[in-house]
Amino acid sequence: MKKSPAHRSRAPESALASYPKPYYARLFRKFVSLTVICSLVPLLLVGWGIHIRHNRFAKSRVMVHFKSQVDHHMQTIELFLQERCSRLKLIAHTNRRDSLLGGRLAHIFAELNEASQGFTDLGVIDANGDHLAYIGPYDLIDKNYAGAFWFEKVMRSGLYISDMFMGFRNEPHFIMAVTGAQDGEKWILRATIDTAFFRSLVENVKTGRSGEVFLLNRSGVYQTTPRFSGRIMQKALDMPSDFHDGTRVFIRPKGNGAARAEKQIVAQSWLADPQWLLVVRQDYREALKDVNYANLVTLFFLHISALIILVVTVLITRYMITTIKRRDRDADRLNKQLLQAGKLASIGELSAGVAHEINNPLAIILTEKQILTDLAEQTDVDSQEFRAQLSDSMQQIDRQIRRCKRITHNLLRFARRTTSVVESVNLNMFIDEVIELLGREAKTSGISITRSFDENLPVIVSDPSQLQQVFLNLINNAVDAHEGKPYGRIHIQTMHDNENRQGITVKISDTGSGITAEHLDKIFDPFFTTKTVGKGTGLGLSICYSIVRQLGGDISVTSQPGVGTEFSIRLPLEPPSELIKSTSANPHSHFLEKEDLT
Amino acid sequence: MIGSKILLVDDEVVFTQNMSRLLSGRGYRVTAVNSGDNAIKALEKEPFDVVVLDLKMPGMDGITTLKEIKKLDLFTETLILTGHGSIDTALEAIKLGAYDYLPKPCEIDELVAKIEGAWSRKDGAAKKDMADKLQKVVESPSAAFDLFPRGSR
Repeated sequence: MKKSPAHRSRAPESALASYPKPYYARLFRKFVSLTVICSLVPLLLVGWGIHIRHNRFAKSRVMVHFKSQVDHHMQTIELFLQERCSRLKLIAHTNRRDSLLGGRLAHIFAELNEASQGFTDLGVIDANGDHLAYIGPYDLIDKNYAGAFWFEKVMRSGLYISDMFMGFRNEPHFIMAVTGAQDGEKWILRATIDTAFFRSLVENVKTGRSGEVFLLNRSGVYQTTPRFSGRIMQKALDMPSDFHDGTRVFIRPKGNGAARAEKQIVAQSWLADPQWLLVVRQDYREALKDVNYANLVTLFFLHISALIILVVTVLITRYMITTIKRRDRDADRLNKQLLQAGKLASIGELSAGVAHEINNPLAIILTEKQILTDLAEQTDVDSQEFRAQLSDSMQQIDRQIRRCKRITHNLLRFARRTTSVVESVNLNMFIDEVIELLGREAKTSGISITRSFDENLPVIVSDPSQLQQVFLNLINNAVDAHEGKPYGRIHIQTMHDNENRQGITVKISDTGSGITAEHLDKIFDPFFTTKTVGKGTGLGLSICYSIVRQLGGDISVTSQPGVGTEFSIRLPLEPPSELIKSTSANPHSHFLEKEDLT
Repeated sequence: MIGSKILLVDDEVVFTQNMSRLLSGRGYRVTAVNSGDNAIKALEKEPFDVVVLDLKMPGMDGITTLKEIKKLDLFTETLILTGHGSIDTALEAIKLGAYDYLPKPCEIDELVAKIEGAWSRKDGAAKKDMADKLQKVVESPSAAFDLFPRGSR
């Protein structure tokens, strides 16, 4: 016989039950973790990536800016010196030495300072080193410079810019000297640059509160007074690097022998003439203040955003979990109501059948009474005939009363199991009881119920109140499936699972009308029925599915239209722990023997 | 009507025995059978005035039996006697042409009253049928041949 493939229905909504607390805690963690992984992690990774990239870029821009600023400043200082040198050269080449003696030097000095500020004094010195003329604040007219370190150099090269030195005036200054010629004899035009003016020029760079700018000669002596490190003409702590072209920018680590212990950005650039090293340095933190501030703001908003997302996620998830919990509770409540409604429907359906079973013996009892009444009217109650009939009738009445009692007790046993209790169940005996309850009714419909029970079937722990609902529904359905057929057979088989011995299987097969393939897909859906209106609620199989799943088992169906249907129920030896917790477990109660209700 | 022929159909043997005895004691001629199939056979063999029919029976149930009785086109009224809790099937039986229904258990007097009612309807229907046929004979004498089956003439 070719059978339709076994059908495993999707879980109907009514099968849902409320879950224990750890389930919701797990669900909560899962939701939050997923949201964090899907939103926070990418956000933070991208944010931190952009931050690192931007930080590097911004720092390199700061360094470049620092370098270009120093480049530009070095050029400014060089231009300053060159321009002053050029003016001195112009004066030396356009004037005769003798013409500068007397009042003209003062006039030229005034013009010079008017055109190019920064000169302290101006003097004319002959080839012997004698001061021929002098305009300035010092009394130097009678000084002889033949022995001065710069005299030979300027006479030899025609132009000389000195390092800072004390000289006759006994204070730090530097000079510019150019040579002129008159009648084949060299003479020197010497000027002193205003130290304070020059220092203000050198320091005219934006270096903030922590920065300093100064010049060093090749020996490492300060040519201007630095802001923090020392004083003019003092030896610097760190020697200048070798001469190099262009500007070098580097980071000096914290506390590396500098006057300021902070980490610093240092830019160094050599002037061409004189070979002074322009040093500009600033605290790293201050130089990158704007960048650091921008970074701080960015990171602050990034982490605030992340925190807000996290908080919102947690709140939304909590709300969702609360809603799910409430829905689960509602579903559980409805499920219980549905189960109860199904049970009542079963009892109602059962009652109609049971009424038939009881009414028949009652009708016999009534006829026996009527026979006795008739006979009493026709004969003497003391007659032999009446006595014999009375005895027969009493025996018959007794038989019929016992028949009624058995039926009502069976019904009562069914109706009494209303509370869910997890206990030991001998399924063979249990199914026998259900058969006893329904067998006679089935028999009057021409249907015989046969059984083949596994004698070694283990006792299972389950909920009898739920199980009886399942078997009652399935057997009732099997009986109803024979509508229109004069005879039929329902076969119930129990067996211990051969595969893993982890559970038992109950098969209920019938020779009814069968189920079409299209109906087979919906058979466990709530409110689906193929019975005529008013004859079926469509809840029976849905309830069976819910109950079996709740008990930790599984239910499947195979059917062939016109041939019959077989339901296969697999039940575990022990129900899920959630069921034991949720029901009033009664380990001492055993549903092993038929209850004695006599 | 004393002497009416009653066919009692019920799968409860003790009930049919007792009820046969009670109805016989009241002047009825009772035949008891315990299945729908036997009821049809009995009706095919001889006519009955009233059939007292149980609904729940193994094999051919009461409704199917009633349909089969109606197919026989007899002057027989059917009274449903059911012990089933639901009256839906009994109402369905009335729709199919049953005279009435009576729930089990019932007093013998109630049953007798229903049987009498059923007999009256059956008698009325039979008389009306005969009157119609006689009217046809009056209108057309050749119709007299239709009153009796060819074999019975």
